[in-house]
Amino acid sequence: MNADIHSLVGAYALDALDDLERAAFDRHLRECEPCRIEADELRETAGRLAADSWSAPPPALRDDVLAAVAGTRQLGPAAEQRAAKPPRRLRWVAAAAVVLAAVGAGTVVYAIQDQRVRRERVLAAILTAPDVIWHEEALLGGGRVRVATSASRDAGVILLNAAKAPEAGKVYQLWTIRGGVPASAGALGEGQAVSTQVVEELPTASAVGVTVERAPAATTPTAPLEAQVTLG
Amino acid sequence: MADDTGVLLEAVAKGDEKAFGRLYDLVAPRVFGLIRRVLRDPSQSEEVAQEVLVEIWRSAARFDPSRGTPTGWILTIAHRRAVDRVRAEQAAADRTRSVGAASLDTPYDTVADEVTGRLEREQVRDCLDGLTELQRQAVTLAYYRGHTYPQVSKLLNVPLPTVKTRMRDGLIRLRDCLDVEVTA
Repeated sequence: MNADIHSLVGAYALDALDDLERAAFDRHLRECEPCRIEADELRETAGRLAADSWSAPPPALRDDVLAAVAGTRQLGPAAEQRAAKPPRRLRWVAAAAVVLAAVGAGTVVYAIQDQRVRRERVLAAILTAPDVIWHEEALLGGGRVRVATSASRDAGVILLNAAKAPEAGKVYQLWTIRGGVPASAGALGEGQAVSTQVVEELPTASAVGVTVERAPAATTPTAPLEAQVTLG
Repeated sequence: MADDTGVLLEAVAKGDEKAFGRLYDLVAPRVFGLIRRVLRDPSQSEEVAQEVLVEIWRSAARFDPSRGTPTGWILTIAHRRAVDRVRAEQAAADRTRSVGAASLDTPYDTVADEVTGRLEREQVRDCLDGLTELQRQAVTLAYYRGHTYPQVSKLLNVPLPTVKTRMRDGLIRLRDCLDVEVTA
């Protein structure tokens, strides 16, 4: 997560960036799922400000618009729209990655407000557990993976923060390893490089692995591992 | 209202012109009102509103419900187009600021949505009142006037990083006050 460019998220949501900055920010959002959720919410919030500005348009506008519509071809759905979407569960916890980044890195300060509690509860329970243990490994392709485990919560969190998304058609996949046997802990969406995954019973695993697999996911990991984090 | 908009937008995505007519009736006052508030000039506002409404027809299938509400999506397009026009204008002259700077009226005369509309307006105003003065100015100068954040920085005579921060934390506070949530 690039904290510097992300500080523009408010200005972005208000359309207060010039075209160059907007393009840079759009790029940033493609690489940072939690940032995108914040941007979406702030843009939605900005839209609510329009409630303050109702005005009945001149009746002629309706006829003009309907006439124009009759002669306008419609676009199809965006091809990448669904494919780029990470699994629902990943999205659900992604917003909380912001908190995780703040806790883990200590460098990024994000103001998360009270009402986010619902989403953050699961993560917070793990991350604030008195016995939480952090592990961290670099990824082969750049970036890093951090793993937090809490035996008292019998759960853990895997935060993947890769430098870039894998090539087209490939995705990052997370694995837990128990007794030498890997089990999938979820795969990211295509084009996604950052995610936060809560994993039940993670403290009983001996390691966490990260691989690059063919989308949407694999049943067994493909060598070489992007990273292996030994737990315990 | 949000549900109706969503249902209509789905039908519009499949090419239903009648549904588009109903969607128009539902959202046009907001779209036009927002554009007019940003642009001030009524005939320019009409032009841009037409572009925006046709754009909604054209790209209805691109609406992604996991990223926001249908109304939010429509207003994002409207605001963006209005702001684009402001920027284009500013390159030529400072016309927009002098035209009708005193007329902030927002006439609204469709009875059906009057009550909902008023409640919503009151909620937004209350929430805006809950911001610090600097947050409120930073947010409203950008959103209602179409200023860039460097322009807002100059107008308020505060440093750029402060403006960025106030825009962000102001919107966060509004988000929580208005209970806006984007759910996947």
